[in-house]
Amino acid sequence: MQLSTSPDPTARISIRGLSKFYKDYLALDRIDLDISKGEKIVVLGPSGSGKSTFIRCLNRIEPHDSGVLMIDGHVIDDRTDLTALRGSVGMVFQNYNLFPHLSVLDNCTLAPRLVRGITKSDAEATARRYLSQVNIAEQAEKFPIQLSGGQQQRVAIARALCMNPEIILFDEPTAALDPESISGIVGIMRDLADQGITTVCVTHEMGFARHIADRIVFMDRGAVLEVTPPEEFFTAPRTERARTFLAQMIRH
Amino acid sequence: MLAAALLALAVLLPAAHALADDLPSFVHDGQLTLCTNPTLPPMTFVNGSDTNALAGMDIDLARRLAAYWHVALIPQTMDFEGLFPSLSAQRCGMVISGVLRQAGRLRNYDAVAYLDSTVVAVARVGTPKIREMADLSGQTVAVQSGTSYAAQIERENDRLRASGRPPIILQQYPTEDQVVQQVLIGRVHAFISQDVELYYRQKQLGGKVTIILTPDYPDFHQFAVYIRKDSRDSALLQKAIDELSQKGEIAAMAKKWGISGDHQSVFTERNAPSRFDFATFFGALFSTAFLKGAALTLVIALLSHLTAIAISIPMAMKLNGRDSIIRRLLGLYVAVFRGAPTLLQLLFIWNALPQFFPIFREHWFTPFLATWLSLSINESAYQVEINRAALRAVDPGQVLAADALGMTTAQTYRHVIFPQALRIALPPTINEFISLLKTTSLASVISLQELLAVTQIQVARTFQFTEYYAAALVYYLAMVFFFLFLQKRIERRFIWADRNKASADAA
Ligand SMILES: Nc1ncnc2c1ncn2[C@@H]1O[C@H](COP(=O)(O)OP(=O)(O)OP(=O)(O)O)[C@@H](O)[C@H]1O
Ligand SMILES: [Mg+2]
Repeated sequence: MQLSTSPDPTARISIRGLSKFYKDYLALDRIDLDISKGEKIVVLGPSGSGKSTFIRCLNRIEPHDSGVLMIDGHVIDDRTDLTALRGSVGMVFQNYNLFPHLSVLDNCTLAPRLVRGITKSDAEATARRYLSQVNIAEQAEKFPIQLSGGQQQRVAIARALCMNPEIILFDEPTAALDPESISGIVGIMRDLADQGITTVCVTHEMGFARHIADRIVFMDRGAVLEVTPPEEFFTAPRTERARTFLAQMIRH
Repeated sequence: MLAAALLALAVLLPAAHALADDLPSFVHDGQLTLCTNPTLPPMTFVNGSDTNALAGMDIDLARRLAAYWHVALIPQTMDFEGLFPSLSAQRCGMVISGVLRQAGRLRNYDAVAYLDSTVVAVARVGTPKIREMADLSGQTVAVQSGTSYAAQIERENDRLRASGRPPIILQQYPTEDQVVQQVLIGRVHAFISQDVELYYRQKQLGGKVTIILTPDYPDFHQFAVYIRKDSRDSALLQKAIDELSQKGEIAAMAKKWGISGDHQSVFTERNAPSRFDFATFFGALFSTAFLKGAALTLVIALLSHLTAIAISIPMAMKLNGRDSIIRRLLGLYVAVFRGAPTLLQLLFIWNALPQFFPIFREHWFTPFLATWLSLSINESAYQVEINRAALRAVDPGQVLAADALGMTTAQTYRHVIFPQALRIALPPTINEFISLLKTTSLASVISLQELLAVTQIQVARTFQFTEYYAAALVYYLAMVFFFLFLQKRIERRFIWADRNKASADAA
């Protein structure tokens, strides 16, 4: 796929020449990518290749240094209203990062109430709806410490959903989960795509990637080397680097 | 109103005819301010359980001088060591506190004598009399700290060393009653004091102690009023005391307080109770003086700790942040205030600060404010470490999650970081508070009437130290146990951190 040099305002996310430095270390190297509405992108790559850094640039938790990032036709830079951006781009973490001192329900209502100014009862109604979507409604009054890993990750997804995002970023959401929980998360991510929510997911699980991805983005040393559909990526990777990466993954 | 009162005084005391330009410079704004350490009966002490009710020969003299100059007397009480620093800091105009007129002190202050006195060395009854101070060679002797007896004993020791004999071993205690106590419990061989004190204490000491020597020290013969150096003031004070003396008023005061020249009659009574007196103990326990003292201890500790917490939270955040000039200054602040003894900080703020900033010697800067200020600063240097550790213990992923949800930094601190840091900080904070509650007792040196100061004043008056110490102990323990109980109650609210408890609670 050949991208034009200027960003595409009709894409959900359009990225051109995106670079990021940590001091003099080049963590992201001139990334170009267009992601459309409802698409499920999986980012693969060896450890330290810049996957986390990349998706953190998408909600500007890490600001990029050069290049253009456009979401729904709006350029994201240092003048962007971060509260609005974080509202439309949600994030789910490997270690869930739930607020341990709040009940499941309060985890889901805290940000909508504080950031969006939604009333407690409205926020709770929304939260219960999303909690049942991720099959965890009956745990609403518990504290995170009382839930299993899979349950906690589903709460984290519900918490992100409560902000009504158009995009959700996942950073290794299944890394701490057992296979059964993983398949639960796969189902939820499919549902999200059906609702038109775009997902960008970093993972080390090849099976999960193959199941879920519309397209695989393969990164190495801060650069995107391949953007291909999963069947093609797993059977006939185009770059040598991707071939060795896959060979290593299969051996493990 | 004031004018009328002054007029009435002028009519009642026709002999005292002080004109405005006859006033010494330490009398101003219609006030004569006095510094005194009320633990030396019958010169200056608290008579009764109300710690504000000062009494004694010195207090009568101060009141008479105030009347003589037609002004109000404003007494301030403090530890003996605090008297002269306070005089220098212009916190008071004069010191009358059973202080002897001595050459050493005259270098820095002016003194006017008002009463003759004799030094005595006192030991437990049955101790043989001695001929001279040198006979105490190798023995332990107690004196009140800040008094000049210590220097006098050092001079004796120089002579003893010169002749190859062991020196007198000196112990110093902050109050006179503790000095006497050391002899009663047999820890020291003798104590050095003035005869007048013994006259007053005959009830408590009767049959227990005896004078073993009346050393003839030329420098220890007169009690004096001390003022800052000023020849005109000194002349005016001398004139006032001479007038009162001529009229026999000073002799009358001495008589009123039982200061008469018969040593031996002091030690004939034998009715001192020696067992634990429960009536005194319960009397002290439920006295308003102790209640007030305990309340003051609690209030000053709470206020100081709350202030310390409030200032140490932003300090901890800054110290956990990036390196900067402010961060380094804060690091220095913490090192200085943790390094210096709390007692030194209190004394510094009370006695040294007014030398740099005169506003700190004005009346609004009370011992309460000074204690609050210095304990807050001191405590914040400890609390900041607790806060830092607690803030660091909160998973950075929490901040990331809040950030990703669009929460502002303030919202993140308020709703995410602080509630979690609080759980970690609470137990060491309560520990700090309990230790602070006990540290407040140091404030007695700058005359704050907290629990221990009240206790010492009562002990000085009655000599029933066991009973009063026990009552103070009960108060301290009650306060500490209450806060330990409170800690347990608050910890129950942190069920979210403990899987087992959280589940038990949900079941
Ligand atoms: N805050 C930071 N400061 C400096 N260097 C960083 C920072 N965050 C990441 N890096 C560096 O940037 C590079 C990319 O890191 P990143 O976390 O994006 O990798 P990753 O692909 O997500 O790796 P993994 O699969 O191990 O999670 C790494 O070399 C890392 O050391
Ligand atoms: Mg990563």
